[in-house]
Amino acid sequence: MSGKTKLLRMFFLSLFVIGLLIGGSSADAAESVVKVGFLGPITGSDAAEGAAARNAFTLAISEANKSGEFPFKIEVIEVDDQGTENVAVAGAQEIVSDSDIVAASGFWNSGPAAAAIPVFKEAEIPLLIWGAIRESLTNKENVPYITRSAPTDKQENIPLAIKVLDEMGYRDWFIVSDVSSYGDGNLNAFKAELAARKITPIGEEQVPEDTTDLNAVVQKVKASGAKAVYCGSTVAIGSQLKRQLNDGGVRDILYCGISGMKTEDFLKIGAEPAEGTLVVSPGIILEDTTEGSNFINLYNSQGYSEPIGAFTPYAYEAALILIKSMRACEGKPTAEAMTRAILDSKTTGIMGTTTFNEIGQTENVAAYLNVVQDGKWVPLDKSEYSQGGKRAFGGK
Amino acid sequence: MEMFWGLAVSAILLGCTYTLVAIGFSLFFGVMDVVVFCCGDIAIFGSFAIIGAYAVAQSAGLFGVFPFWVCVILLILIGAVFCAAWGLITHQLSIKPFQNSSELMPLLSTIAMGTVIKEGLGLLFKPVVNTISAAFDRESAVTVVSGRNPQGFPSLLLPDGTVGARYLTIIVITAVILLLLFLFLNKTKMGMSMQAISQNKELSLMTGINVSRVIIITFLIGGVMLAVSGFLVGSYQKLMSFDDGAMYGAKGFSAAVVGGLRNTWGAVIGGMLLAFVEVFVSGYIPKGTAYSSIAAFVIVVIFIVFKPDGIIGDKSVEKV
Repeated sequence: MSGKTKLLRMFFLSLFVIGLLIGGSSADAAESVVKVGFLGPITGSDAAEGAAARNAFTLAISEANKSGEFPFKIEVIEVDDQGTENVAVAGAQEIVSDSDIVAASGFWNSGPAAAAIPVFKEAEIPLLIWGAIRESLTNKENVPYITRSAPTDKQENIPLAIKVLDEMGYRDWFIVSDVSSYGDGNLNAFKAELAARKITPIGEEQVPEDTTDLNAVVQKVKASGAKAVYCGSTVAIGSQLKRQLNDGGVRDILYCGISGMKTEDFLKIGAEPAEGTLVVSPGIILEDTTEGSNFINLYNSQGYSEPIGAFTPYAYEAALILIKSMRACEGKPTAEAMTRAILDSKTTGIMGTTTFNEIGQTENVAAYLNVVQDGKWVPLDKSEYSQGGKRAFGGK
Repeated sequence: MEMFWGLAVSAILLGCTYTLVAIGFSLFFGVMDVVVFCCGDIAIFGSFAIIGAYAVAQSAGLFGVFPFWVCVILLILIGAVFCAAWGLITHQLSIKPFQNSSELMPLLSTIAMGTVIKEGLGLLFKPVVNTISAAFDRESAVTVVSGRNPQGFPSLLLPDGTVGARYLTIIVITAVILLLLFLFLNKTKMGMSMQAISQNKELSLMTGINVSRVIIITFLIGGVMLAVSGFLVGSYQKLMSFDDGAMYGAKGFSAAVVGGLRNTWGAVIGGMLLAFVEVFVSGYIPKGTAYSSIAAFVIVVIFIVFKPDGIIGDKSVEKV
């Protein structure tokens, strides 16, 4: 045998061995992989919230994989729903069509969540909602497949209403939202709180989601003489309205809203006029608990470009709930076993203990208020706007 | 009365943003008999080009070297170059190959081009801008977020001035652009050639006008107009989204149709009319903001049905 032939034989033999090794390891990996889906607005106008949630969700899964607790590897299929219904439905179909999927967690926007829920129900794949807050998403018909670890729009608006209506005493309200189901839900939730206190808003507007020119609304607010403006929308409209109110000379008011606005983008887009914006945020003040502080440190140590948003802890918590449910499946998680395990789960995470009621809604409800102070979100109680503080809200 | 004047100012400003996009439609249609549906996307691309160039200029420390106004003009020029390039690309790839095809072909291909521009922005804006910014290797490198995220437009128009002064400047710039366009179209040989082609292409060819050259220059000028439009939209709205082009395109086209598709002054009147309808419906009808765009498009439908040649257009619009 010539040297050249020998070399060629050795080369092909090596290739064969490498092929066997790779093939073998793939086969092993395929047998030991369990997949979960993640859906959220990773790009689009709500990307600040969606991308941070994706980071937190995958971080929790990665920690579980590192722990070596499970005899399988958990793999995440990420779907960017772009905050739109049709993309969300296509993403849901992509997830449920994977035979290794045992559960999914998704959605920050209520519209896409509502559109995709039938896909998960039909495929009998459990979906745990981490961020969409429209109240009707969890209901009797959706049990046992649909659960939610985040609060509803009603649960978010109640603490805000108590603060601004009962404690601060504002009565002259102009309320604004977008026409999406998220905006509509918030508008109705806050109106219900006003009605419960026999207050009729002196103005009300719902704007299309792609609206960037809100100057006509600003003129209406100005003419109405409102002392407080409620915005039940997300960051794009929320920040634009605040800036244009400021530009239009409507500065001496209370401007408040919902968690959809509590993002870093709000601070950037709203810039200086964002000062004094009061927003309700779901969950607890993470810095106040050991578990919360640990999460902040862990998240920040990863070098993500997206900071922690209002629902980032909920996405992390959702992953913890799925992991806990996998434990309950005794090493053999299937979609069917996970459906029941999620609904029956009792998970103590970074925001307390989460259990679900008869319609799949979390029983762990908490919310707190934040204010923009010097270009940063600060918990109201720790800010200079708190009672007797150095700064005051407008409209008084 | 204060509300009326406030709404009127808002309407004029919004009208300025619609008008310049509408003029782009009018120019292209006049010379090519083609509705270039990606006008709005080109204008938004201009805005993003300025936002990206601003981040790069800051990373490069350009604002410390040149006076602020020089930097602003440079940024607008960069936007203009990009938009003019897109104008040319649109002509070469989406219109010229279909010159002898059905009128529908360039219509569809310009819609497709708009999608390419929009999705390209969404995908490439962040990596391209941040790569260039990082190349300057300065600690103060300014980065941008994903092209699919909303982008705050930098304060380039009178950053230290009052809001009123900024608004007035937007109106004045629009007026100056219109005046320059008027002078160009009526006092220069090239402008008159454009008008001649708009009125009768065959006769223009017979009189020795270099139609191909005029068409290319029209697309260049149209592109620059759209870049200025993008700059003014950004300076007024302060918030840009990569998919705003479809909305501005629809509004600009509607304004051009209402005013008269071949007539640049028609574009001005149409743009202002649509903006006034939108703003006043929003302002004076309770909960009217949700219906403002619907009201504007109802006006368009009324014009298409009862006066298809537009307010000051000519009968040839019926060809569309």
